[in-house]
Amino acid sequence: MLRLIIDKELREIIGSTKFAVTFGVMSLLILLAFYVGARNYQISTQDYEAAVAENLKQMEGLTDWNRVDNRIFLKPEPLTALVSGISNDIGRTVEIQTQWEPRSEDSRFNEDPIYAVFRFIDLEFIFSIVLSLFAILFVYDAVNGEKERGTLRLAFANAVPRDKYILGKLIGSFVALAVPLLVPILIGCGLLPLLGVSMDSSSWIRLGIVIAAGLMYLGVFLTLSIFVSSMTERSSSSFLLLLVVWIFAVLIIPRTAVFVAGRAVDVPTVDAIDFQKSSYMSQLWDEDMKKMDEFRRSPAGQAEAQEDRRRRWRAYMSQLADERTEKIDAFAQRLNEDRRNRDLARQRVALGIARISPASVFTLAATDLAGTSLDLKNRFDVAARAYREAYTRFIVDKTGSSGAGWWMSGNNQDAEEINPYELPAFEYQAAPVSDYVTSALPDLAILMLFNFAFFAGAFLAFLRYDVR
Amino acid sequence: MFSLLVERELKGILLSPKFTATFGVCSLLMLLSLFVGIQEYRHSVDQYNTAIQLNDRELAGETSWWGVESRVYRRPDPMQVFVSGVDYDVGRLSEISTWNEVKLQNSAYSDDSLFAIFRFVDFTFIVQIVLSLFAILFTYDSINGERETGTLKLSLANAVPRPRYVLAKFVGAWVGLTIPVLIPILLAVLVVLLVGLPMSADNWAKLAAFLGVSVLYFTFFIALGIFVSAITRRSSVSFLILLVIWVALVLIIPRAATMAAGQIVRVASVAEIDARKDRYSTDRWLSYRSSRMQQRDEREAQMANMTEEERGAFRAANSRRWAEEDDALRQSTTEDIAEYNRRLDEDLNNQKAEMQAIAFSLSRISPASAFQIAAMNLAGTNIDVKTRYEQAMQTYRNAFSTFVNAKRQEERAKDRRRFSTGQDEPLDLTEMPRFQPPDYTFKEALAPSVVDMGLLSLYSLLAFAGAFVAFLKYDVR
Repeated sequence: MLRLIIDKELREIIGSTKFAVTFGVMSLLILLAFYVGARNYQISTQDYEAAVAENLKQMEGLTDWNRVDNRIFLKPEPLTALVSGISNDIGRTVEIQTQWEPRSEDSRFNEDPIYAVFRFIDLEFIFSIVLSLFAILFVYDAVNGEKERGTLRLAFANAVPRDKYILGKLIGSFVALAVPLLVPILIGCGLLPLLGVSMDSSSWIRLGIVIAAGLMYLGVFLTLSIFVSSMTERSSSSFLLLLVVWIFAVLIIPRTAVFVAGRAVDVPTVDAIDFQKSSYMSQLWDEDMKKMDEFRRSPAGQAEAQEDRRRRWRAYMSQLADERTEKIDAFAQRLNEDRRNRDLARQRVALGIARISPASVFTLAATDLAGTSLDLKNRFDVAARAYREAYTRFIVDKTGSSGAGWWMSGNNQDAEEINPYELPAFEYQAAPVSDYVTSALPDLAILMLFNFAFFAGAFLAFLRYDVR
Repeated sequence: MFSLLVERELKGILLSPKFTATFGVCSLLMLLSLFVGIQEYRHSVDQYNTAIQLNDRELAGETSWWGVESRVYRRPDPMQVFVSGVDYDVGRLSEISTWNEVKLQNSAYSDDSLFAIFRFVDFTFIVQIVLSLFAILFTYDSINGERETGTLKLSLANAVPRPRYVLAKFVGAWVGLTIPVLIPILLAVLVVLLVGLPMSADNWAKLAAFLGVSVLYFTFFIALGIFVSAITRRSSVSFLILLVIWVALVLIIPRAATMAAGQIVRVASVAEIDARKDRYSTDRWLSYRSSRMQQRDEREAQMANMTEEERGAFRAANSRRWAEEDDALRQSTTEDIAEYNRRLDEDLNNQKAEMQAIAFSLSRISPASAFQIAAMNLAGTNIDVKTRYEQAMQTYRNAFSTFVNAKRQEERAKDRRRFSTGQDEPLDLTEMPRFQPPDYTFKEALAPSVVDMGLLSLYSLLAFAGAFVAFLKYDVR
């Protein structure tokens, strides 16, 4: 019996003009997203490689490691192009210096605001906005539409249990929409290697889960639509209601929740922190100035040769600079940690509230899986700090000092040229798959919960539905 | 007769439950967006003021001109409440120093990426996406729906000329939808007045123009709805077609156009440009150093056969000239580097301008993009905000450098030591030039928006003409 109902539902959807049109549109969009994503990935990879090469090239010919300006870059990942998340909003370049803390700058949207105007088409966008709208379009009249046409009464003239009927409706519409959707997705996946995007197994697994999350999200809107359809008498009112729900869930709640809740938690601004750092810096600097002055005036060593005295001065300067860097680093770390903790608290509140909308839940799950969630910024920062330490060790190894006092020292003209290719290489490493999946799990669970809750609602409403 | 038709259409819209729902939703959304917008504006004003204070305080703590550097900030603009544009994406500040170039950094979204996940909801967003959807929802069955219910045949059984009928449909729908939308808008304006958002006369003019553009955009979708309704037999079909058109116009074309333009024109990344600049500056300073060495050797050579006393006299006689030569050499080096950087930036900006021109022309196929571009141009949150500020900051940097360099000279003349001991008096900052954020007048805002306003009018006219012609041939049975 269930099969028969599913079969009927399938035929009804697939045979409709609506289906032909939306299927065409969705396929086009999905293929576009894959194509554009792949091209974007290629372009950003080219940019990345050019930047890395130029960075090393500009050091050629230098003779002093302390005069090197070194930068590291965030390597684009294939999944970023499909689920862009915040990857275009965060800085991709970090200038690495031994004595300053690294800071990422040049976000893509700041660099090319034209992309920020309309943003990108990615898989996440198509799923969360277009697919949900189409889901509503197909099932808003699942129950009350049948009633209006009189087929509902006919169906129940037979010995059809209501629970089977509603389950059959859900399964039928899900299969009818999900299976055709998988066709362009699979073609898109096949296109990726052809377009020169090499995905490792981790990326494939994550992409697979993103697509699964997308189907769960489709399920949320299907169950919701059946629920609303079995609560209302007329299909026109269920459509209107669903459209309003869609506008709020997809367009409004995620945006406003984050802004309203986010501002309720106080997080010090980046500016305030910067100024605290720089005023501490100038305080340290003033103290060191006094020490330098004392050193200069100290009678000790007045008699020694000028060369010796200069060397001792340089060593002293360098020592002071290293101590200063250490202190400022500790201070900065404390401030950063404090800000990060408060930021995390704010994220919990803001995203927690935003999660009342399934659209936010899906977006968060997808970005977590793709590695373009808020964690990306943090991971890149941590990697940049670790690299700075490696870089400092390298410079100390090469020159004997961290170079913090280089501007005081003369430049050795006859020294050999440095070989920039000896520099420790930086390559941003993606976390293991399990990390991404673990962070996405709660959201996947919430999506399932939405499915169950709405289906339960639809079920209960339909049991009491007046089929006449 | 005409007014009777309009009245009937009006009643049909205003009395429907659809109307109550959408009107409620629209009002709620507009007020919500205003609330969030004002909150964000206030937050950014606070942040702006605090940052300027902190910067002043830091400058006041300096005791030597040697290390003086400053930061300048983009001033929040109340128009961002209505049209946030790229305001949150473009850097908020730039370092100003004699040695580093101006560069906008720290965009609001990169500082607090939490807000970047779902981005902002503003008036533009609501008009562009929600209102256009509602316009379709009200007009998709305006002709074929009447045919389905049989009222079309009845109406035209009277002596109603078809042109007048379709015009009345349009006017009725327009009045019935636009006036109610204007109510929450006026309410919003009232809120703006009440909370004391610092709107200048120019800002009010910009806001009025923006509302005008919004109405124009809305009109297009009303006309489009009637048009599609007049070329289809069944209302379910016209709704489906309209929805697909809506998805394409509002969600897809704007994005696809920018991305297509990005594929057509290759724009070098800033990281690449920066590295090239570094390369050149390194080269140039290396050659500067070798010229200095050469110069020194030449001078030594001139003094080679002199006695110690003669050397002293020769040095004293030439010291001024030598210092001038040294300065000239250093200056020509800095100038060369600045010139090279300027050329690279110019190239980059040209590439970007070309890409933007292509992206915007392509995207303007869609009225939704035309609307958004016009809105951003009017509000001053367009992509030009970046160049506008960078130019103003560049000008400021020149004034700043001239001033600080002069002060450094003075300082050097007084005391040849480069570093103070921290016990000196604080600097006298009263004469230091202050950064004046660039103005963006209504006139400047209007000029680039005219194209898009024209386009929107054209699109509306075309859609209406289409509806008109289609209806003349419509089979009313």
